[in-house]
Amino acid sequence: MARACAGHDAACTGKMCNRWYGQGEAFVLPDRGRGLILRGMSSSPSTTEVKLQRRERFRAYMQTFNPTAPPQDAIEAGLVCEELHGSLFRKLAGRADLERGSQQLLVGGVGSGKTTELILAARSLEQEGHVLPLYIDISAETDLSSLNSGALLATFGLHLTRRLWADFPPLRQGMEALLGPGKPYGRLKEYAYGKQEAGVTTDEALGQRYPAAAEADRVHQADAYIAIRSVLGKLNPPALPALSRDIEEIRGPLEEFLAVARDAQKEVVAVFDGLDRLLDPTRFWSVASQDLRLFRELKVSVVLTAPLSVLFGARVGQSVSDHFDKVYHVPVVAVDPVRGLLGSVLEKRHGYELLSDVDADSVCEYSGGVLRDLVSLARDAAVEAYISGHDSVTSEDVENVVQQLGTGYLRGLGPYEMNLLLRLEESKWFDVSRATSVELLLTRRVLEYSSTDFRVHPALLSVMHVPEPKSA
Amino acid sequence: MPDFSSQPFVEVARRLEVQGAHSWLAVLSPLSDPTAACDALSTELESFLQTPVRVVPLRGSSFERLREQLHQPEHDAVILFASGDLEAGEWSSLDSMRSALERRGPVVLWMAPDAVGRLTEFAPNIRSFIGSSIFLAGPEPGIMTDKERESRLEELRQHYQLSDQEIVRRAEAKELPPEPHFVEWLVLVGRGDLV
Repeated sequence: MARACAGHDAACTGKMCNRWYGQGEAFVLPDRGRGLILRGMSSSPSTTEVKLQRRERFRAYMQTFNPTAPPQDAIEAGLVCEELHGSLFRKLAGRADLERGSQQLLVGGVGSGKTTELILAARSLEQEGHVLPLYIDISAETDLSSLNSGALLATFGLHLTRRLWADFPPLRQGMEALLGPGKPYGRLKEYAYGKQEAGVTTDEALGQRYPAAAEADRVHQADAYIAIRSVLGKLNPPALPALSRDIEEIRGPLEEFLAVARDAQKEVVAVFDGLDRLLDPTRFWSVASQDLRLFRELKVSVVLTAPLSVLFGARVGQSVSDHFDKVYHVPVVAVDPVRGLLGSVLEKRHGYELLSDVDADSVCEYSGGVLRDLVSLARDAAVEAYISGHDSVTSEDVENVVQQLGTGYLRGLGPYEMNLLLRLEESKWFDVSRATSVELLLTRRVLEYSSTDFRVHPALLSVMHVPEPKSA
Repeated sequence: MPDFSSQPFVEVARRLEVQGAHSWLAVLSPLSDPTAACDALSTELESFLQTPVRVVPLRGSSFERLREQLHQPEHDAVILFASGDLEAGEWSSLDSMRSALERRGPVVLWMAPDAVGRLTEFAPNIRSFIGSSIFLAGPEPGIMTDKERESRLEELRQHYQLSDQEIVRRAEAKELPPEPHFVEWLVLVGRGDLV
């Protein structure tokens, strides 16, 4: 039976109380957290230094294996293998630079390394000197779920003007003529964020009574009202069908600022990230198609990402290459002991500080070649080791995190999906024209090693019950 | 059917602490009284990580609001509370705004156990961020007996050559450095209020 906490009166329930109260022979610390006094944490002061060293060793490892840190950080820290996808970023940068107005599409599954390639491409273009690359993660700027055509152009225009203003002070004097309401920058902002339009109406329900006489006098109406209509911008749009006339509105302001950039001997390249979050290919096309037409007319090279679903599924994959000068597919990285690409990712991040060769191989294998899963497993195995009191990662730690990852993929699968997975595992048969198959690809339960080589994610496979093959 | 590892909240806090900046994980709420359990997790994180913790409900939160909440401020810990009735469209919407949710402080996605399927299905980008760090809210671990507590106190007294009374006196005079051992010591003598 619980006693009142030490030093408190019998009425104290322990809530918001730091003092101990007893439950038989045990003590618990309510509400201020028990972490500080757990048995497992109590260390002999004499061993504190050793423990601190261990903690620092693990924390240093965690910093290099952080699947959720901005890719920019990993690039700047020299932790990225640039050749992982055959120097893809150089190809992207090269074409964007040489072919003005070119349009390249980067397609890949979740965690395949698309963002890293885009950032590397942008950095490579920047180094050319005469190129002004604008890396824009559209999904960080606006709600993709209600995105409409015009949004890419709007955000591009805003990034361009801000960049020119911030990085090219000599241009400011010339740019000042373009700022302000009604000027190109004002029109850009209205296009992006919307505006309010006033009009005269006799309908009181629509309008608010105009307080001044001027407008009413002008229209000679005794009962004139001013209706304020909100025109939403492209970065906070309603779900309306796209209008090409609407797209044309932005052409003028963009041409003005592109001319400023060209005066400064800069060719602008737009690098759009985040559109791969639009998992439905029809949504992707509805957002991208008209914007891309105008970019081409403006002779601005564009590189952008798209979800795997634009490649696979009925009636979509056939046409994607017609719309772009080049489509690159970033597949998962196959486990290849000879080339050892995945191992090189671990090595670059100093993974062997805590991973044995065998455990590193396991991490590579169970990641299935999904780069973020690779980094996650390497990190999470180390967290597991740390929590378990191990000095380095053990096979048991790796097994635990693989099971955790596999269980995450397993949840929510129905009998139909399970049958598809089992069939893929047994016969290698996988019909990518089916909607369910595309969903399995998008959710990473099935991985694409090439356009004809599909496999169940190894972590998922490890927790699936796969029937033994029947003997003859 | 395999299940996720069960972790007491203090272990969840330890995991976040060792992972450092930009850490994400998911905790599956117990079936009974998830709100109270979420409060308990919040208290534990605050105590262990020594940082403020905010619980941000996902239901009905717009893109702009969520982005603002996660970035102002950006270094504290945030528990994203996904109520059991979060629908497919809301998960998809959350998924598409993953970049806007990236922040320096730790993020815990708090959700019902049966929501993992919807997370994987409709929010693969968020799931990818969480990786294998999905845990069931577990029971609190073993707690100290009187004997263990006295033994630990004796260890601290011997090492620092100080008495309990002296530690309390210094804490009251605000002369005690905020070292983990002294915090532990104060808690063990029942003066956690001085921490």
